[in-house]
Amino acid sequence: MTDLAVKLDGVGKKYRFFQLEKICLKIPRGTIMGLIGPNGAGKSTTIRILMGLVHQDCGDVQVLGRRMPAEQVAAKWDIGFASEDMRLYDGMTLGWHMSFIQSIYPTWDTAYAQVLLKRFGVRAEQKIKGLSHGQRVKAALLLVLARRPKLLVLDEPTTGLDPVARHEILRELTAVMEDEDRTILFSSHHTQDVEQISDRITFIDRGRIIDSMDKEIYLDRWKRLRLEVPSGIEIPALPGIIGIKRTGRLAVAIANAFVPDLPNAYESSGARVQAVEDMTLEEIFVANVEHSREEVEA
Amino acid sequence: MKGTIIRHLILKDLRLHRQQIYITLAAGAVALGVCQWGSEPALVVGSVWFFISLIMVGTMLPIGGIVNERKKQNLAFVMSLPVSSVQYTIAKIISTFGMFLAPWLTLVGAAILVIETRHIIPRGAIPMLLILAFMPLVAFWVMTAAALIGETEGWGIAANVACSSSYGLIWYFMTRNSALTAGMTKPAPVWNSAVLTVLGVEFALAAVLLGLTLYVQSRKQDFV
Repeated sequence: MTDLAVKLDGVGKKYRFFQLEKICLKIPRGTIMGLIGPNGAGKSTTIRILMGLVHQDCGDVQVLGRRMPAEQVAAKWDIGFASEDMRLYDGMTLGWHMSFIQSIYPTWDTAYAQVLLKRFGVRAEQKIKGLSHGQRVKAALLLVLARRPKLLVLDEPTTGLDPVARHEILRELTAVMEDEDRTILFSSHHTQDVEQISDRITFIDRGRIIDSMDKEIYLDRWKRLRLEVPSGIEIPALPGIIGIKRTGRLAVAIANAFVPDLPNAYESSGARVQAVEDMTLEEIFVANVEHSREEVEA
Repeated sequence: MKGTIIRHLILKDLRLHRQQIYITLAAGAVALGVCQWGSEPALVVGSVWFFISLIMVGTMLPIGGIVNERKKQNLAFVMSLPVSSVQYTIAKIISTFGMFLAPWLTLVGAAILVIETRHIIPRGAIPMLLILAFMPLVAFWVMTAAALIGETEGWGIAANVACSSSYGLIWYFMTRNSALTAGMTKPAPVWNSAVLTVLGVEFALAAVLLGLTLYVQSRKQDFV
């Protein structure tokens, strides 16, 4: 059995106004992968391809060891998928949906479903049309979680939720990972949510994967250096620095491959390093996207 | 796996749309009841209601079960289940056609029974009844094909408009074709070549639409 839950190799898909450009992505089993990208970056297309809902034009897709889309039926027994644009049947109750899913999946965990009903504050006898947006998202997630899938694929699940609902959902997703064999792919443009629960992160922009690595490595490698540069001194182009913004005597350098010697290198060139700051995931994301776009346009 | 996924999807659709079967049966029963009052106006009104109930169910099921499922974004939920696009299509065709066929067979059977037992109109009208009753069935397949293949509400509405506006014209020519109407006043049904040809064409159209739908759906690359 492969130790990868998801493997995308050279996967491309062309639409009239958008193209997914031969992306490669590996998600080891037992990890939470956050897929971050701006709107229209290709997150949903990527997820639909790996669910077999959209057929790739080229490349190889394997999910839980199954080739997609050919083996999507076998693969989907072990995948729980919920997306922001997925709706349950308005006129039916949550209990009806639970019975429907239970009738299909032998792995349905009734006791866990009851626990989730309480934790999420939803009632089985409620009709879907009577639920708030947050409750609908929780209902959809309950239906996915209670079947105990090996892979959870969540496309923008926290979009439009209030902070409390977001917290409840993220807490539950973290709890799900107590089973070490379980994997989550979580797409969002809310970097805070992804930062909170993910242990690996992939940035996607304009149909290209621009970076993918462990969250901690991102946070270690990406730093912001505040520099004081006397007049007449040129700031050197150092390896690991992707951008410098200078305003008079002050400059800010962004490093994507920070090493402890980097401040010394600036000091040697005549600049004074005022501070080396950590960057939030959101700042890393924005800097990464901007750098990637500059590279493409250059 | 508990049973086949196709069976689960069919049962789901039955639970979601069974009200439409009950409404059609009730409307058709009322229409046949009106026909039995015996007067000519009652027969005309009852017959119109009868065919309207068949047309309505042939329209409501593809719109409610297929177009609305996509429009209301339920399709992503269904396709997240262990089902392929072909399995979905097969389940949708079986469930939708089954839900159409149940009231259609019941009402057409009841109408034949009324003609046979109540002698309100001659038994020779049975072939024309079948010819006219098969038209909502063909229209049902047009609507179903448009809903599944076209994927948008626009295609569903276009198919609905095309079918609805065709009924009057086609019925006008059918009921004025002497070869088809020749046996209507006879005491026994006359199954002449004209009647059998029209019924055959209606059957063939339905079969072609079914085949076309399955073929196109099986070749689709993007489903949601």
